[in-house]
Amino acid sequence: MQLLERYLQAVKFWLPKEQKEDIVAELSEDIHSQIDEKEAELGRKLNEVELESILKQRGRPILVANRYLPQQHLIGPVLFPIYLLVLKIVMLCYVVPWTVTWIALLIFNSGHAAKFSGHSWVETLGSLWASLWGTAFLAVSTVTLVFAILERVQLNSHFLEEWNPRKLPPVNNPNVISRFNSIVELAANLLFCVWWTTNMSSQLVLNEVNLRISLAPAWHYFFWGFLLVAVVNIALAIANCARPYWTARRAALRLVNDIAGSVLFCWLLKSNLLVEIAAASISPAKAVQLTAAINLWMVRMFPVAVIVGVVIAVVNIFRIVRVTAPQARIPGERAAVA
Amino acid sequence: MSSENFDNLRLELRRGGLVLAVLAALHSEQYGYTLRKLMADHGIEIDEGTLYPLLRRLENQGLLTSKWREEQKRNKRFYKLTVAGKQILEQLLNEWRSMDSSINSILKEYGHATSRTVLAGR
Repeated sequence: MQLLERYLQAVKFWLPKEQKEDIVAELSEDIHSQIDEKEAELGRKLNEVELESILKQRGRPILVANRYLPQQHLIGPVLFPIYLLVLKIVMLCYVVPWTVTWIALLIFNSGHAAKFSGHSWVETLGSLWASLWGTAFLAVSTVTLVFAILERVQLNSHFLEEWNPRKLPPVNNPNVISRFNSIVELAANLLFCVWWTTNMSSQLVLNEVNLRISLAPAWHYFFWGFLLVAVVNIALAIANCARPYWTARRAALRLVNDIAGSVLFCWLLKSNLLVEIAAASISPAKAVQLTAAINLWMVRMFPVAVIVGVVIAVVNIFRIVRVTAPQARIPGERAAVA
Repeated sequence: MSSENFDNLRLELRRGGLVLAVLAALHSEQYGYTLRKLMADHGIEIDEGTLYPLLRRLENQGLLTSKWREEQKRNKRFYKLTVAGKQILEQLLNEWRSMDSSINSILKEYGHATSRTVLAGR
C-alpha cells in the first residue's frame, strides 16, 4: 500500500492548501473502495502490479489534482482574439522592419558589416537570430503583460460588454475602389504630369545662375517612360472613378503599369544618370565628388527598389486572383465584372 | 477525424446530462463510489476525475450537502440533495423534457427524409 500513499501524496502536492486534506481523504476512500471490490472479486489481496494498474487508470497525480482546481487563464476568451491580432500587428510592424533594417545595415553599412568580418554566414545568421529572438521576446512579453492587465480590469469593470452595433465598421468589400482614393490618385498624377513636363523634359534639369544640374542623354527614355506610366495611371483613375470596382482587365493593367514603373525606377537607379552638378558655393572638385556620391547612393538603393517593386507586383497579382475567383464576387457585382 | 468530432460533441452533449443524472441519483444519500456504481448500472459511466470535482461544485452552489460518516470501518463522505437542489433538479428536468420534446418534434418533421438519406448513404 506504500504505492497508494505515494500516489496520494503526489496528488496532495498540487491541491489548494485549504482543501488538501478533504480531497485526499475522499480520493483515498474511493481508491480503497475500488481495491476492496477488486479483492472481493479475485478472492485475494491485490499485488503490486494490479495496484499500479488501478493508479495508472486514475491518471497522473497532477492531472487528477488539476480537475479540482478552478479554471484559470491569463487572457480570457473575450480578449484573446484581440490579443492575437495585436501580436500579429506587432510582429509585422516591429519585428519585420527590425529584421529588414538589420540586414540592410549589414549589406550597406560598412561599420556594421565590419563587426561580422571574418564570421561565416552561419555565425552571422546566428547573431541575427539571437538579436531577433531578444526583440521578439520583448515585444511579445510587453503585449502579453498589457493584455493580462486588461483582462483583470475587464473582469472587474466589464467594459467590453458595453457595445453598440451602430458603431461597427461598414461591410468591407476589397473589390470596391474608394472614389476618394481614385480622385486623390487622379489629382496627384495630373500634378505630377504638369510638373514633370514643365521641369524635367530636358537633360539640363536645373540651369540657374548659382546651380546647374545636368543628366545623361538616357534621361529622355526615363522622361517619356515615367510620363507614359503617369498617363496610364490617370486613365485608370478616371475609369475607377466611373466604375468603382476592380475588374480583371483593370487589375491586369494596373499590374503591367506598376511593373513598368518599378522597372524604370530600378533602371534609373543603376544608370549613373547624374552627369554634372555645378554650384557657385562649392568647388568643381567637390561637385565631382558630390555627383559620384549621389550616383553611388542611387546604385546602393537598387536592391531596396527591387524589393519594393516585387512587393507591389505581388499585391497586384493577389488583387487579380481575388477579382477572378468566382466566390469573391458578390451577386450584384457579377454583371458589372462580366 | 469524424470519430474525434463525435467524441468531442458527445462530451459536450453529456456534460449537462451528467449534472442532471448526479442530482437525480442523489435523491437518496450516496457516497462517491456507490454513486458512481449506481450511475454505471444505469448506463452512465462517469470517471472519478469528473465526478468528485462536480460534486464539490454542486455542494459549493448549495445544491448538495455532505457529511463524513464511518461505514464498514472506513470514513466515507455521503452526499444528498438539499431543498434548493431538489428545486433546481425539477427545473432542470422540465428544461430537459422540453428540449427532448422539441428535438423529437424536429425529428418527426424531417425524420423521414433523414432516415432515407442515411439509408441511401449506406
